[in-house]
Amino acid sequence: MTETTKALAVGASETRADAKAKAQGREPYAADNYPDGLLWAGAVRPGALQGVAHARLLGIDTAAAAALPGVVKILTAADVPGTNRQGIIHKDMPVLVGDKLRYAGDPVALVIAESPEVLRQAIRLVVVRLEALPTVCDPVAALADGAARVHDERADNLLAAAEIRLGEGAQRLDHCDVVVSGSFATPVQAHGFIETENGVACRAVDGSLTMTISTQAPFRDRMEIAHALGLSFDKIRIIAPCLGGGFGGKDGATVQCLLALAALHSEQRPVKMLWDREENLLAGYRRHSCRVDYRLGASRDGTLEAVHCRLVYDTGAYAHLGGEVMALGMEHAGGPYRIPHVLIEGQCVYTNNPVAGAMRAFGVCQVSFPFEAMVDELARELGVDPLALRRKNALLPGDTNCAGVTVAESTGIADCLDLVAGHPLWLERAAWKAAAPSGSRRGVGLAAVFNAAGYGAKVRDAAIAKVELTCDGLIVVHNAVADMGQGNAAAFVQIAGHVLQQDAARVSVRQPDTASAYPSGSSSAGRTTFTFGNALIVACEQLKARLINRAGLLLFVDDDSTLELVPGKIVHRASAREVSLARLVGFLRDEERSCLGEYVAPLCPDPGTGKGFFIGFPHVVFAYGAHLARIEVDLATGQIRVVDYLAVTDGGQVINPAMFDQQVHGGVAQGLGYALMEDLATRDGQVLAGDFSRYLIPGALDLPEIVSVACAGDEARGPFGMKGVGEVAMNGPLPAVANALADGCGIHLRDAPLTPERVLLALEKLAEEAPQ
Amino acid sequence: MSAWFSPDSIDDVLALVDRHPDARLIAGGTDLLVRRRREMSAAPMISLERVAALQGIEEVDEDGVLAIGALTRIAELAASPLLADHASLLQRAARSFGAPAIRNMASIGGNLCTASPAGDCLPPLYALGAQIELTSLSGRRRISINEFILGSGRTALATGEIVTRVLLPAHQAFAWQAYEKIGRRQSLAISVVSFAGLLRLDGDQRVAEVNLAWGSVGPTVVTAPELARWMVGKSPDQALIDEAAQRARAAVQPIDDLRAGAAYRRALAGNLLRRFLLQVLNG
Amino acid sequence: MSSEIVFELNGEQTKLAVSPTRRVIDLLREDLKLTGSKEGCGTGECGACSILVDGELRLACLMVAGQLAGHRLTTIEGLAESPLGARVQKSFAEAGAVQCGYCTPGMEVAAVDLLSRQPDPSRDEVRAALSGNLCRCTGYVKIVDAVCQAAGALDATEDTAR
Repeated sequence: MTETTKALAVGASETRADAKAKAQGREPYAADNYPDGLLWAGAVRPGALQGVAHARLLGIDTAAAAALPGVVKILTAADVPGTNRQGIIHKDMPVLVGDKLRYAGDPVALVIAESPEVLRQAIRLVVVRLEALPTVCDPVAALADGAARVHDERADNLLAAAEIRLGEGAQRLDHCDVVVSGSFATPVQAHGFIETENGVACRAVDGSLTMTISTQAPFRDRMEIAHALGLSFDKIRIIAPCLGGGFGGKDGATVQCLLALAALHSEQRPVKMLWDREENLLAGYRRHSCRVDYRLGASRDGTLEAVHCRLVYDTGAYAHLGGEVMALGMEHAGGPYRIPHVLIEGQCVYTNNPVAGAMRAFGVCQVSFPFEAMVDELARELGVDPLALRRKNALLPGDTNCAGVTVAESTGIADCLDLVAGHPLWLERAAWKAAAPSGSRRGVGLAAVFNAAGYGAKVRDAAIAKVELTCDGLIVVHNAVADMGQGNAAAFVQIAGHVLQQDAARVSVRQPDTASAYPSGSSSAGRTTFTFGNALIVACEQLKARLINRAGLLLFVDDDSTLELVPGKIVHRASAREVSLARLVGFLRDEERSCLGEYVAPLCPDPGTGKGFFIGFPHVVFAYGAHLARIEVDLATGQIRVVDYLAVTDGGQVINPAMFDQQVHGGVAQGLGYALMEDLATRDGQVLAGDFSRYLIPGALDLPEIVSVACAGDEARGPFGMKGVGEVAMNGPLPAVANALADGCGIHLRDAPLTPERVLLALEKLAEEAPQ
Repeated sequence: MSAWFSPDSIDDVLALVDRHPDARLIAGGTDLLVRRRREMSAAPMISLERVAALQGIEEVDEDGVLAIGALTRIAELAASPLLADHASLLQRAARSFGAPAIRNMASIGGNLCTASPAGDCLPPLYALGAQIELTSLSGRRRISINEFILGSGRTALATGEIVTRVLLPAHQAFAWQAYEKIGRRQSLAISVVSFAGLLRLDGDQRVAEVNLAWGSVGPTVVTAPELARWMVGKSPDQALIDEAAQRARAAVQPIDDLRAGAAYRRALAGNLLRRFLLQVLNG
Repeated sequence: MSSEIVFELNGEQTKLAVSPTRRVIDLLREDLKLTGSKEGCGTGECGACSILVDGELRLACLMVAGQLAGHRLTTIEGLAESPLGARVQKSFAEAGAVQCGYCTPGMEVAAVDLLSRQPDPSRDEVRAALSGNLCRCTGYVKIVDAVCQAAGALDATEDTAR
């Protein structure tokens, strides 16, 4: 077949470059590292064992544990050099706690042992004396006067507060023809990646560290470790293989600082840290729970006029990216609509709950529920079609959004809604609903959603790509942004193959290694294909020009435009002269074989509408989506079955349609879990949903055949016109299902997840209140 | 690490149990190995996997009693033609159990001895009037499942005894049968409430016999014998159905836990009975 | 406290000195460096450790070494030995069923178990067969596509034996 000699092409559903190795079980994830002579490291987390979430550390007795054969060392806070503080922006999290536990998973000691069995036993033998302190586990209570302080050096428990104001703000609501309001609550969600947090670290004789970590940010990790442990970042090498899932939960140090500390005390033996699922659910990061009070006002003709909402995010014991999560949520709280008068107030609060951090659709899925539920409520009040109401108010290119940003380009929400409007799942909804089997009700619900891509204002969003022609005449892309499954590495192969006109067998990618790639930011914020992809195009164009120039020299051809790169060679069609890349490379010096490309994402000018934001407000690139959920409710049990789900997404141009759909399917699936069953519940700061039998994510029988449709568009600033769609799909399912419930059953649930219990109790209440 | 034994006869198992009173019996291991993850026990383990006498489903006498070996895997229950004829309720429960791999590993004996209030096989076994055969060095005895399961995680197994077979009485013609398991998702779910019902009408279309059993609404399966007795001789009309559902709600003693609240479980218990009786009414 | 356990591993007779109560998943990953089987939860709830024992789907995190004695174990590393396994792997790669790939080995083992007993399943039957394998990336749609594609590519003349 000529398949292998056909150049890769942007726009085609090329098979992912990583698919074969993964399908054969040969992909080496960080967790798959078991070097010879391995030691094992694990943390002692007494808060969970003793049932306290906030406690003064009185003392640690390691004698019994240290006496166990096979225990190499036990470290405590006194053994941590440097600041003993980690964090992405706010360095408020101890590597090992010395003063007090602020949440149930706070580690007080690090044990290094010869085997996982000895490690487990030793951890149990460490005796920790704690003095319980009053806990504050509710964010509203945490803001009250006299509430116990999570961080004693702070005046109170407020991590961040901000506001966005447009026009007359909340005052306009007094003059609106119709105002709807509601109070909403969204739960803590776990990332649920199947590969838990882990890594291996080894210290060389010269003191340098080499670490292989399941991480979304290998370059930043070095800085975090260096700051925490008083090391030089350039003596830390981090390799980031393909992750078995990330979704934001591996953005920011998880095992990194503890593991580096262990390596410092293991002579030159490799040390491994691998969190089991229970430790992941206790000490891993998670999505912030949020409470929202919302008021939305419109004129009689359905024009949205004003929104006032208050958002309270619970960030848990440490900051992580709490302020930025709140900021992004606030930026999206008005929905993808034109609303001239806006007051959005946000607070992000410390509590003694486990640590909330980055998670896909960061801050945004918490507000998508209220804004889309309120739009439907408005439609009911006005007696208008909910899709028409959304379409009427949908942002168009040139409009100003609810953060005060003028969305000049690539704003496809109206087109997405039009595609839903023309889809059979929408058009045939009345007949479908009428055919509900006896004992059930069917409902249909919409959601118009959006999600910014990129870091936002005041943060440099940049990448440096390297592409290399190997001595064998093959192309290697030196990736610098970790691939957590979204397929950015495969996209880079496709981009390089397209620009350099090489086939799949001739292009490969080397996953991030801080020793050979260049700082390009984290794998997060829907930015990797956009930012690194743009840098890669620069690098590939440069390499292409260089190779053509050199080939021209060898082939005695003066005109570059007559030379063409094809799989494996450069040809001069007119004369049939050609040179293989394998031969051409022999004429290049080593430094000529690689090209670097740099790219900085567009700046986000300050719209002057925000107060109290630190970084990340606002953004200028947004993906949009319009979703439709068709559900069937079992009236006897309250169970919801999502029968059909349509997600129409504006992601600009599509580099690989199959990969685009993969991201949308996955985002919808995670969003349906958030909508229906996921709740990383705690009580007094103790994790209740402590393993996978109690924290439930959807299985194959819980999800429908998700239909993904790409809305045609173009984002001129993106590589080949694309923008990131990794997050936007996550935002639709909760509001779409909630709206479908209201449509089908007349119940208006405001607390997520929309469990069968909440549904049944609401149905019973509705029946009781119905006129006799 | 623990000592490991893999005997191939019931006598050898009993001898080992006698010699190692702290030993854990392992059938499929799907409950035991999860517990062991947290417990770090050094207790010896006795695997029952090679004891052929504990396997298999057969009709044991002319009365049509069905005997199921304690080590019979849930997957085998799910596929058995004998069970399809004789005890389809148990088969339906087996098909709702866990997920495919778990069904290949877990055993009916294990499900019984774990005695979880949410055990999937239990409501059908109560509704079918199962007897549990217990064997020790002193001999064999049979007790009803009600007498075997004493509380949440507690059974009447005496020291030195093992469960050898589950016996289902002769097949009766219950024209109306229902099994429902309501969980928080469609597979790998611990039941929030489960229900097993068997009902026969007499020549006048009145209830002749009814067996009911609910799981996850009390420390053990609830059978509400008074409710069942009350229904006998009555016509299954809407009024009976409404009253029965109400009585069912009063008969169960659910708790609040992470999966669901007591009020919801109570409502479900009534609704599942209602759904069953509506089938009878509309049938 | 180790014993000698004799079993067949991916078609080869194997003798190992190992504690009979060591978890099979640890035996595979740590001792034998067969890291294709993954541990996602340790409690039988995710299916990432799916293996075939005597051709039947089981979970390595809930099995101990002693239970392997005398049996035939197939892991993801041995799956491609059979035409069915190779076909399933090819379909997963081509149908876009692989994103992060961590659930993939378990999914493929479960798919082989299904197709070896039921060569032409409906999409719902595929979902039921995979209902013990959790995926966090794909929403299952393209995984079901892959299994159906593998089924469709197998005709009566192909060997579905494992």
